[in-house]
Amino acid sequence: MENKNNSKILIIDDEEVVLDSCTQILKGSSYKLATAANGTEGLNLAKEFQPDLVFVDLKMPGISGFDVLDKIHEIDPTIVTVVITGFATVGSAVDAMKKGAYDFLPKPFTPDEFRLITRRGIERRKLVLETIALRREKEMLREQFASIVSHELKAPLGAVQQNLFVLEYELASMLNNEQKEKLERIKIRIDELIKLINSWLRVISVDIDKLKAGFAPISITAPLSGALESMEPYATRKNIEIVSDIREPLSPILGDSLSLSEVFVNIIGNAIKYSPDGTKITISVEVKENDLLVSIRDSGVGISEEDIPHIFEGFYRAKSGQTMTGQGIGLAVSRQIVDAHSGSITVESELGKGTTFVVSLPLSKA
Amino acid sequence: MTKKLLMIDDDPDFVAGIKAILDNAGFEVEVAYNPKEGLHALQTKQYDLLLLDIMMGRGAEGIMIARKLRKDVKLREMPVLIITGMREQIAFLFPGEPIHPRFVEVDELVEKPVEPKMLIEKVNSLILTAETKKAGKK
Ligand SMILES: Nc1ncnc2c1ncn2[C@@H]1O[C@H](COP(=O)(O)OP(=O)(O)O)[C@@H](O)[C@H]1O
Repeated sequence: MENKNNSKILIIDDEEVVLDSCTQILKGSSYKLATAANGTEGLNLAKEFQPDLVFVDLKMPGISGFDVLDKIHEIDPTIVTVVITGFATVGSAVDAMKKGAYDFLPKPFTPDEFRLITRRGIERRKLVLETIALRREKEMLREQFASIVSHELKAPLGAVQQNLFVLEYELASMLNNEQKEKLERIKIRIDELIKLINSWLRVISVDIDKLKAGFAPISITAPLSGALESMEPYATRKNIEIVSDIREPLSPILGDSLSLSEVFVNIIGNAIKYSPDGTKITISVEVKENDLLVSIRDSGVGISEEDIPHIFEGFYRAKSGQTMTGQGIGLAVSRQIVDAHSGSITVESELGKGTTFVVSLPLSKA
Repeated sequence: MTKKLLMIDDDPDFVAGIKAILDNAGFEVEVAYNPKEGLHALQTKQYDLLLLDIMMGRGAEGIMIARKLRKDVKLREMPVLIITGMREQIAFLFPGEPIHPRFVEVDELVEKPVEPKMLIEKVNSLILTAETKKAGKK
């Protein structure tokens, strides 16, 4: 843990009295203090001195306190800033806080007030740094975990399975049925493990930030028809008809076509999976205010009211669907992707009657 | 004539599991256990097909080989079967669909582990496609 003794404070104010009294008040404390009489000098010092906390007078000749604030946040957004303002200009203190200042110190102030605000500012800075460190650690863990899962778990299992394949292949004519069945069972169990690892990997590897960086105005038709095309064979196999009512031109949305088609593959795939043979799935698209709504309706097994809140949680499977195989991952991943698009997924369902999933995505403003 | 294959993969156990199947099916299989060795073999000998692991070492070192192949006028005519343990990192792929990475003219991607029947089928069909293409060019 960083020692409080090392905390550095910079005070930028054109009034010498203010600088002097602050210096006086903090004398004997463990803080390191630097002062500057104007914005330019203060900014130069901010780069060199690397303060934890900066006090900035809002009213100074030369570059304004507001500009100094902006520049300091540019230098290091984690530096905590407090504005010093005359009592009559509390309004501008509020403006400064909107721009990222943490607090304000009204002039004139008592030593106690100054000490208190200083202590709070330093605590704030520590919190900011700790939060960043924690976030970084979490990100590293996530990446490490993904690579451990894939390399240390998945690769050996793959090699085991590969050699089992060979054994089965080479021994085909020598094994009796019982032995073959044992081998088959081993293969199935390993296959399930590999699939489970794949699902984990899929969940871990959705990188929302990376996804967002690639957003562009797209038509919903692209991901939707892509998904329809790849799910068509599965529907045909169950003699399920997919009726889709998608009329061009649709207003564009801001997003990533590839990941959105994954969402539709998951939802349409579920509609097929959890529906009896010979039923119908209806897909429609409509604009409602500033959102684009894609509805996928099936006449399948449905989901009970108790299960609905949990199906997006990941690794959760509703009672009604447990006769089918699945990992309980598709909807969790879909929700992450739709969340990244600032959209939402909602479900309405009645057991034994059917389910409707609605994906709502904000229209692109351009 | 016996077809000659090169396999580049850094997992000896996995290699053993693939090689046994291909040996059995009458192919002649050479193995390189790292990208450098593999590249050297490719540049000095002739093969009818390459089996390439994409995720070797720390990163996707196999991709580097695929890229080099694509730039080489002669090598890029060789068919490549990409074998990967991590298809989710290559690209998002639709479940159950055939995958064409298109690193070189004739290639395909399969996931580890590979069923023996499918392995032999893929190897045969890739070699055939490449030969037909080549014959067509002449
Ligand atoms: N269209 C649907 N009809 C009935 N149940 C559904 C439907 N879609 C999803 N579910 C339920 O939600 C659960 C989670 O779905 P999902 O995350 O896609 O995982 P999986 O289908 O692999 O189990 C499923 O196990 C199933 O119980």
